[in-house]
Amino acid sequence: MAIKFERVSYQYQSIDKRGYLAIEDVTLSIAGEGEFITLIGETGSGKSTLVQHMNALLQPTEGRMNLFGIKIDKDTKRQKKVKLNPIRKQVGLVFQFPEYQLFEETVQKDIIFGPRNFGVSEAEAIKRAKEVIKVVGLDESYLKRSPFNLSGGEKKRVSIAGILAMEPDILILDEPTSGLDPMGRNALLKVFNDIHEKLNKTVLIITHDMNTVYEYAKRVLVMREGVLVYDGDPLQLFSRRNIENWNLETPEILKLQKALQSKFNIEIDNYPRSKKALFEAVKEGVKQ
Amino acid sequence: MKNIVIGRYVPGKGFLYTLDPRTKIIALLLLMAGTFIIDELIHMVVAIAMIGIILLIGKISIRRVYLGLRPLLFLLIFTFAFQILFNTQGELLYEMPLYYSPLTIGLVALVVVTWMLTKKYIRFKLIYFLIMVALSLFIFSTLNEPFVFGQGAFTVYEDALQMALFIMLRLIIIVTLSTILTITTKPTDLNLGLESVLKPLKIVRVNTEEIAMIISIALRYIPTLLDEANKIMLAQASRGVDFQEGKLKEKVMQIVSLLVPMFIISFKRSDELANAMEARSFVPGQPRTRLHQLVWKTLDTLVIIFAIGFLFGSIYIRVMV
Repeated sequence: MAIKFERVSYQYQSIDKRGYLAIEDVTLSIAGEGEFITLIGETGSGKSTLVQHMNALLQPTEGRMNLFGIKIDKDTKRQKKVKLNPIRKQVGLVFQFPEYQLFEETVQKDIIFGPRNFGVSEAEAIKRAKEVIKVVGLDESYLKRSPFNLSGGEKKRVSIAGILAMEPDILILDEPTSGLDPMGRNALLKVFNDIHEKLNKTVLIITHDMNTVYEYAKRVLVMREGVLVYDGDPLQLFSRRNIENWNLETPEILKLQKALQSKFNIEIDNYPRSKKALFEAVKEGVKQ
Repeated sequence: MKNIVIGRYVPGKGFLYTLDPRTKIIALLLLMAGTFIIDELIHMVVAIAMIGIILLIGKISIRRVYLGLRPLLFLLIFTFAFQILFNTQGELLYEMPLYYSPLTIGLVALVVVTWMLTKKYIRFKLIYFLIMVALSLFIFSTLNEPFVFGQGAFTVYEDALQMALFIMLRLIIIVTLSTILTITTKPTDLNLGLESVLKPLKIVRVNTEEIAMIISIALRYIPTLLDEANKIMLAQASRGVDFQEGKLKEKVMQIVSLLVPMFIISFKRSDELANAMEARSFVPGQPRTRLHQLVWKTLDTLVIIFAIGFLFGSIYIRVMV
């Protein structure tokens, strides 16, 4: 396992000493390849804090983690021997707001910033930039533009390209589709799915969109008030009755299935994954 | 970054918290003026005793005040050492011979090297540093070996000691007073008080309301911007920027990668804030009413009388005694 958390807790420090426990007693492991995970939960449930542990931006205040063989616990920060930087090459983390990372004059310079920091040659980095800009759905002409004159969605894509160019083993995205139009959102989700399927990489997405969770994810993590309350198959999650207790919504396809079921009074094969599967299931149901 | 104590409000109880901010600002100015007028060590000691009593009555922990003083510790020690070393007026109080020989210089160099190597692991750096300085002086003064290069002396004169203590106490009083003000007054109250105190400047056409508004916005956004800076650092760190290491050229790049997003975000934020204020019908220069009015109480009058008394007392002592 590439990422391993053992009873990890993290407490934010504040003036009044008590601090704020952002994540509590989280134990999980994530493979270095072939996973497609979504992380869901209400705002303030500790999702962002959790993923910031995964590339060692934050170190646990309680518990241990093991990231690509590097052991990290609450004492790691004081020992300067442990190099955390290499972990960040292997685990690429895209932040929610692209404004936090764009700073160069041109998009190209911004994209090669990450790879250059990890010792990739300039020529190689530029070659990668030309590839990844297409991967995120923009064309090469964008490379010469200033990142600050782009629209919100374009900025987002550029910031994702900047991480993709580092060629991480595990790609983590904090709400990558927020602020995008539905077309752009679907296109980007396809990109992540391609990265996962074709390159066999692990992708972890923080999202509030249950349709994304249901259609793409092979595994889903649910955070609630800092505690990891569910880790497993999305089908099982949505077949549970009490997801409303966790303030989660039912995906559109399942709503549609339920509506069809009650309206036409037919049996439909449980939990179809996509619209196409639902359509097939309805056909089956009608035949019977 | 989050441990900046100067200028931070600490919730609490005690009479200093119930005072009107105007009172506190005016009293602070009067007391500071008084402190600058005092010119004798013994009177300064009395003044600091009074400050101590204020702290005691106001139930403000000494620890808080110390935290406010800590950034100035270096300055305090530096002025103290400077006076002791270079002021040679008054009576000679103490003399210690110093022997500069290869042996002593070598040993002191060893002490310095040990200090450099071990300071990382010591918690009480300041005490450790002082111990090391004392050890060096001890080495210089006791090892009277034959291969002597030369001889000097470490001397302490009466005036030097007095001056050093005097300046130290004055600095401590001034910083303590301002720390009391910021610890016990919310930034918004402080701003209200400032606006009120600056009102007379309106006669000379200074727009005090605007100044107050600017200050209050600036104060309001300090934590927000700190938070933002922290997030930018994390975002850049996840792109391989190692803020702990790097040569000069890399350091410059790291700072640029931090500052540019910082500026862009600040401009964007100020734009948004301006729109939000206009959307709620803020018109610059128009007279505005306040939700919380400042109320002047008897206690405020008493405190002002005390402060004026302190000022006139110190003037009286300076002129008459």
